[in-house]
Amino acid sequence: MLDLLSAASIASVLTISFLVTFVATPIIGEAMRKRGITGRDVHKSPGVRLPEMCGVAIVIGLAAGVSIYAIVFPSLIHETAAFMGTVLIAGTIGFVDDLRPLNARIKPLLTAVACLPILIFGTYYPHPPIPFVGPVSLTIIYPILIPVAIAVTSNAVNMMDVMNGAMPGTVSVILVAITAILLFSAKNGTAALSAALLGALLAFYYFNRYPAKVFDGDTGSLAVGAALGALAILGNIEAVMVVALIPHIMNAFYGLASVGRLYERREIHERPIRILEDGSLRASTAKAAPITLVRIILAAGPLREREIVRDMIFLTLISSLLAVLTFGITLVGRI
Amino acid sequence: LKRLIPLAAIEILVWALMLTVLFLISRVAFAINIGVGTLADRIATQIVRTSVSVVIVVVWLLAWKKITDVHFWRAIARTNTTS
Repeated sequence: MLDLLSAASIASVLTISFLVTFVATPIIGEAMRKRGITGRDVHKSPGVRLPEMCGVAIVIGLAAGVSIYAIVFPSLIHETAAFMGTVLIAGTIGFVDDLRPLNARIKPLLTAVACLPILIFGTYYPHPPIPFVGPVSLTIIYPILIPVAIAVTSNAVNMMDVMNGAMPGTVSVILVAITAILLFSAKNGTAALSAALLGALLAFYYFNRYPAKVFDGDTGSLAVGAALGALAILGNIEAVMVVALIPHIMNAFYGLASVGRLYERREIHERPIRILEDGSLRASTAKAAPITLVRIILAAGPLREREIVRDMIFLTLISSLLAVLTFGITLVGRI
Repeated sequence: LKRLIPLAAIEILVWALMLTVLFLISRVAFAINIGVGTLADRIATQIVRTSVSVVIVVVWLLAWKKITDVHFWRAIARTNTTS
C-alpha cells in the first residue's frame, strides 16, 4: 500500500522535477540560441529556427527529482543509479547525435549500450509477467533482451518526435498510466522514478507544445525513450509498457517496414507529408515515402500540426487505457 | 473523431492479436523442452523457445503491417476521389 511518506515523496519528486525543468528549459534554450545550435521548424513557414538540444533540461529536471528521492530512500540507490545511468548514457548519445549526426545503423547499437547500468547493478527480475500466463522464467535470455528493449524504446520515442509537443505530450499520457500501475503494484520506488519523468515532461511540454519555442533534440527523445525502457525493466511491467507504446512502435515499425531498412529522417528524399499553402499538412501519395503514423493520420485528409498532435495524444490515450487493461488481465492471471 | 475511429480500432485489434500471440507463445514456445540437466541443455531450450517466439511475433507484425497498409491506401484513394 502507499503510505503517507511514500505518497508525499512521490508528489515532491514530481513537483521538483517539474519546477527544475520549467526553470532550466528557457535558460538552456537561450544558451543554445546564442551558440547557434538551432533547428528549422519544418512544418512552419521557412525561416523559423528554434533552439535545439533543450532536452538537456528534461534530464536535469529528472536528475534533480530522482536525486532527492535517492536521498530520502537510500535503500533504493541501486535502482535509481541504474535508471539515471541509463538515461544519462542515452542522453549523451543523443547529445553527440545532435552535434554530429550518427549513422542510422550505429545509433540503435549505441542506444543499446545505455542498458549497461541496469546489467551492472542487476536491477532486473528475469521473470516478466505475461497476460493470461503469469511470470515466465527467462533467466538466461532476459539479460540479452535488455539492450534490445532499451534500443527499441529509445529509438521508437525518438522517431515519434516529429511535431511540436508530440514527444512530451504522448509520453506524459503513458507515464500517468504507468505511474498509477506501479503504485497499484506497490512498486513505490519505480513509481517515483516514473513520476519524476512525468514532472519533467509536463514542464517541457509547456515550451514544446504548438507553436514550439524549443526543441528537445535527440538528447531529450533518446533519454526519455531509454527511461521508459528502464521503467519497464525495473518495474517488471514489460508487456504493459509494450502496449502503452503501441502508437510509438506503430510509427517506428511502419517507417522501417515501408523503407525496408534503418533510416534517418534527413536521408529520406520523398517526404511522407507535404505542407499546403494554408499551412495545413497533407499525406504524400508517393509510394516511396515512408508510412509513418502522421502520414496514416493524414491519409483521411489535411490537418493542422496542432490537430495532428492532438490525434497522436488521443491514440496514446487509447493505448495507455489498453495498458491498464493488460495490467488488470495479468493481475487476474496471477490470482 | 471520424478519422481516429479506424486507427483506434487498429490499435485495439493489434492489442488483441498481441494477447493471442503471447498466449500462443506461452502454450507452444514455452512447452518446448530439450532438457534441463546441463547448462548447455538449458541454453538450447531457451534459444529454441526464443526462436519460436520470434517467428510467432514476426507473423503478428506482418499481420499488423498488412492491416495498416490496406487501411492507409484505401484512405488515400478515398481522399483523392473526394478532392
